[in-house]
Amino acid sequence: MNPITLHTDAQTVTLAIIAVALPFAAFVVNFLLLGKSKASGWVSTLAILGSAVLSLNVFFRVWDNHTIHMQQLWFTIGATKVQVGVLLNNLSVLMLVLVSLIALPVHIYSTAYMKDDAGYSRYFRYLSFFCFSMLALVVVDSLITFYAFWELVGFSSYLLIGFWYDRDSAVQANKKAFIMNRIGDIGLLTAIIILFTQFGTFDLYELFKDGGLVAHSFFINGEWAAGLNYIPSVWHYIAFGGIFLAVAAKSAQFPLHTWLPDAMEGPTSVSALIHAATMVAAGVFLLGRVYPMFNEAELTTLAIVGCFTAFMAATIALTQNDLKRILAYSTISQLGYMVMAMGVGAYSSSLFHLVTHAFFKCLLFLVAGVVIHQIKHIKEDNSLDIDPQDIRHMGGLRKKLPLTFIAVLIAGLALVGLPLTSGFLSKDGILIQAFDWADGRSFMLSIIPIMALLTSWLTAFYVARLIFKVFFGELRLLKAFPSLQIHIGDGHWAYKLPLILLALCCLFPLFSLNPFSYETSWLYEAFAPKHAAEGQSIYHLVIPALVSVVSLVIIFCAYVLYIKRGDGMVVKNGLLFRISYNEWYIDRFYKRIIVKFVIWLSGVLYWVDRKVIDGFIHLLEKIGLAIAKATAWCDKYIVDGVLWLAAELVQYIGNFARRFQGGKVQYYLYSMLLAVIAVFILKLIWA
Amino acid sequence: MNILTLLIFTPVLFGFIILLLPSSMRASFKYITLFATLLQLGLSIWMYLNFKTGATFAGISHEEQFQFVQKVPWIHLDLGSAGKMQIEYFVGIDGVSITLMVMTCLVMVVAAVASWEIKSNLKGFFALFLLLDMAVVGVFCALDFFLFYTFYELMLLPLYFLIGMWGGARREYAAIKFFLYTLFGSVFMLLVMVGLYLSVKDPATGNHTFNIIQMMNPANYINGSVFSTITHNTILGMPARSVGFVVLFIAFAIKVPVVPLHTWLPDAHVEAPTPVSIILAGILLKIGGYGIIRICMSIFPDIALSGAFWIGLLGVISILYGAFNALAQRDLKRLIAYSSVSHMGFVLLGIASNTAEGISGAMMQMVSHGFLSTMLFFLVGVIYNRVHDRDIYHFRGLGSLMPRYTVYVMVAFFASLGLPGFSAFVAEAFSLAGAFKSHSVNGLLPYWMAVCGSVGILLSAAYFLWTLQRMFFGKLSLKGGEIWKIALHDINLRETLTLLPLALIALGLGLMPSLVFDKVNDSVLALVQFIGIK
Repeated sequence: MNPITLHTDAQTVTLAIIAVALPFAAFVVNFLLLGKSKASGWVSTLAILGSAVLSLNVFFRVWDNHTIHMQQLWFTIGATKVQVGVLLNNLSVLMLVLVSLIALPVHIYSTAYMKDDAGYSRYFRYLSFFCFSMLALVVVDSLITFYAFWELVGFSSYLLIGFWYDRDSAVQANKKAFIMNRIGDIGLLTAIIILFTQFGTFDLYELFKDGGLVAHSFFINGEWAAGLNYIPSVWHYIAFGGIFLAVAAKSAQFPLHTWLPDAMEGPTSVSALIHAATMVAAGVFLLGRVYPMFNEAELTTLAIVGCFTAFMAATIALTQNDLKRILAYSTISQLGYMVMAMGVGAYSSSLFHLVTHAFFKCLLFLVAGVVIHQIKHIKEDNSLDIDPQDIRHMGGLRKKLPLTFIAVLIAGLALVGLPLTSGFLSKDGILIQAFDWADGRSFMLSIIPIMALLTSWLTAFYVARLIFKVFFGELRLLKAFPSLQIHIGDGHWAYKLPLILLALCCLFPLFSLNPFSYETSWLYEAFAPKHAAEGQSIYHLVIPALVSVVSLVIIFCAYVLYIKRGDGMVVKNGLLFRISYNEWYIDRFYKRIIVKFVIWLSGVLYWVDRKVIDGFIHLLEKIGLAIAKATAWCDKYIVDGVLWLAAELVQYIGNFARRFQGGKVQYYLYSMLLAVIAVFILKLIWA
Repeated sequence: MNILTLLIFTPVLFGFIILLLPSSMRASFKYITLFATLLQLGLSIWMYLNFKTGATFAGISHEEQFQFVQKVPWIHLDLGSAGKMQIEYFVGIDGVSITLMVMTCLVMVVAAVASWEIKSNLKGFFALFLLLDMAVVGVFCALDFFLFYTFYELMLLPLYFLIGMWGGARREYAAIKFFLYTLFGSVFMLLVMVGLYLSVKDPATGNHTFNIIQMMNPANYINGSVFSTITHNTILGMPARSVGFVVLFIAFAIKVPVVPLHTWLPDAHVEAPTPVSIILAGILLKIGGYGIIRICMSIFPDIALSGAFWIGLLGVISILYGAFNALAQRDLKRLIAYSSVSHMGFVLLGIASNTAEGISGAMMQMVSHGFLSTMLFFLVGVIYNRVHDRDIYHFRGLGSLMPRYTVYVMVAFFASLGLPGFSAFVAEAFSLAGAFKSHSVNGLLPYWMAVCGSVGILLSAAYFLWTLQRMFFGKLSLKGGEIWKIALHDINLRETLTLLPLALIALGLGLMPSLVFDKVNDSVLALVQFIGIK
């Protein structure tokens, strides 16, 4: 590498580091200097604006250019040097831009959304800290620092879910989120330790680059070999299992997805940024980072789990009544798509969907925030006792909130994957590649793309249901409370601007000039393997048509169901409805079986501690005391007893003999006579 | 005057001053104690800064590589035909001791500040406190087994009285339990010590010696003696060296504490006054870990290798068992006590791996736990002082009543559960990495141990976050009602001044682990090599 590129590389790295550090600086300033001041919102927003500008700059320097990797020694442990550094390639700069670009409108929106909250400055402190951790996560170059920021984004998510810490449901939710994420974390840690043992380094670049250490490792005789190191190949699968757990926890895949719907307890703007667009995508990002490591079986596992999650979450979203919960399950479903895409080898489509999803899902959440905010207004103005997130109270809002309505329409269409939107491009990419992948594989595996297709139709239904219930018809609250005072509207520019910005990003031109071909998208091309066999199969025509036409039919059906005929037509007590409404009973299973079991086990072990171990100690104590008592008895009655006996005897004899010395002469003579007689008698006997 | 000797005996000097001062000046005792501990901290930091690193200063089995050494004859008796009794006052430090020593001095300062809560019999308390201070620092520096044992036993006496006289309701039970447990360990240690003394000859003088470093060299063992490395003697049918190792290990395992020898700890912690809890958790437990490294592993490296599996297993059991027990507690202090058991399990696991990563991780964990458990117990003390209750279910929503206190609690909890950025993360990650790597490098520990150990990290999140949720979040509701509400004022300046440095240190060590690793690395490498070649 010549010195000039080295110099510009160093510049690029510096820019990236500043982009990452700016939100951290905002966090420090807010924390130390600003206290409860309202200025904190603007400090954070300016910081993220700076990050966004710098990220774009870095993006254009690195995109489709060479990978930049710079590092510095952090510490030495034994012979291992642990480095910290920055790894900038297509994947990381894409995420860098995505995170900062999504975070910017969310910051602006938040300044209005959180305006009246007592914790305004605390909110921005947390938000900046989150942005810092997330931006750092995407640029770091070593598994150790990756793990560190991986946990820190989880931690900031914990803080923000529990932002209203005096609400019980919020603090239950953030505890659950953190603990479930911890399950993923220990998976990731295990995987890191396995990789470290096998390859002796934490360096992501050395491990996963083309022709890197992982690429050179191979299986032989049931062992996984790398250089001179051999470990049983089962540890390759365990490492995969660990990474899978990490992905499942962070990206809310089955079976670790149940924290995400509960995480909606946080402010809606937070749900938009963290629990829809950025942090939950970190799992997919991790898959992207360590992709070369997976073998065929492992990829198939990913495809199956992703597909199942997508399907399951979509079925749950069909029947939920909480506006944010519907969106949360939709997020889980879409993340399932991305994981499935990784599994079927559609690496580039997966990342493409990650990006497009970030924009439209963020937009959907911001819209939900506006809606909830307005319903809350109605609630407060009229002092009602209602849940402002329940879509059964809503309806007809398109007239009151025209801009919001247009935004939700665009985002909804993108989520369904209808033409001219970004979602169309990325989702069709995934579906087409899934069908291509299933060709020539077993029948069981060909269910995967079919279920994915089915899921996309379910998506059409729940999106239509959501929009129809919230924005069409009449406001249902008015029916219940005819005398309502209603003053609502799209609101402040800080609400409108982010919606407009994000809505524009949900359309096709940002990603591809050709609205019908995902393969011409710059984003797809940069990650796609460079061979020309693409674009040939029949699926390229059939799938987009099938998705669009059937989705439109389903949307029409939903229209008929919810608008023309009202709500009455929906069956509300069938088995399938109950499974869907109760979220497949998964969370209930966790609470009733697993949590109970752990608490029970801890109780049992505490009992062991008190009764068995301490019981043994107390037994020893009792034995010791018993022996001591026996010894004391022995001491008193035997050892001392002999002594006493001797003393008693002496005393007795003394007392007896004393009587001979009474001072009376007759006694003396008498006793003398007795003594003489005794001597004579004894002499006679012995003689 | 040797600086190390000065460091060890400074506290006892001030202890005499306190004893001589009339009781009417009792208000000044705490300041005298604080001054003594601060002076000691200053000395130890000076030594830390002047501590030389490099392969030639690794220490461990090389007497000449120790630093700040002082070696003078202490008890030299001519026993006629039995030779000469050679006991030396021999102190010195290497990488293993320096970090623990600095940590000890700092924890002592915090404990001194926490002693503000003591209201009765101040003269006795502070005199014993300073005596204890001398003994613990002495333990980390002593290189003569007899001296080590003297300091080791000298710790017991003040601790017994500190718990038994200034403790809580069941203080006598706790004190005697603690005393007997520890004494049980050390009595047998005495026998092994004598056995070692009779087995080892100083090559320079030809006398028997208590010199720990001489005991590490197999060439110094007399042929045919009890612990000789060549002739395989037996005690009660078991190999003598194994018995020696196990006896010493039990003595230190009680201190660590290792399940199932841990039940003194929750009782002692719960009953002890805050400063003593701090010393117990912050320092005493580390003496166990230090003893295993310095004495058990180094004097009996052959047994350490063959018994590594069992040591590692005990470590894993401690991690999981302690964590589950912590989950079952409703007394906050007891919860933290059990979390100590769990966290010290990582130390044992790391040591057992005999890899550079594992032992460094264990060292880091000891230092990190020293600060974090100090912080945790101090925090419990804050609440207990105000309302004399520690039951988790008697508090709710403290976050809105004591916001600054809650911030420190969150820092301590998250640091303890291994949030990256704080010291425990690096420590636990590398203990586990070392334990996992062990199978590939030296075949000591099976792979699954590290995986099981990592479950402890999950459980620690569970019990700490559950506690946070139950005590600090939600709507404010206190068992004691309005009276408690007034009593529970937020932390004051003194408390902040104690907690803030601890939080900053935990953060600093997490961001710059090299503060510890740089100092210990050479010693750890030397130790790994020393144990490995046997």
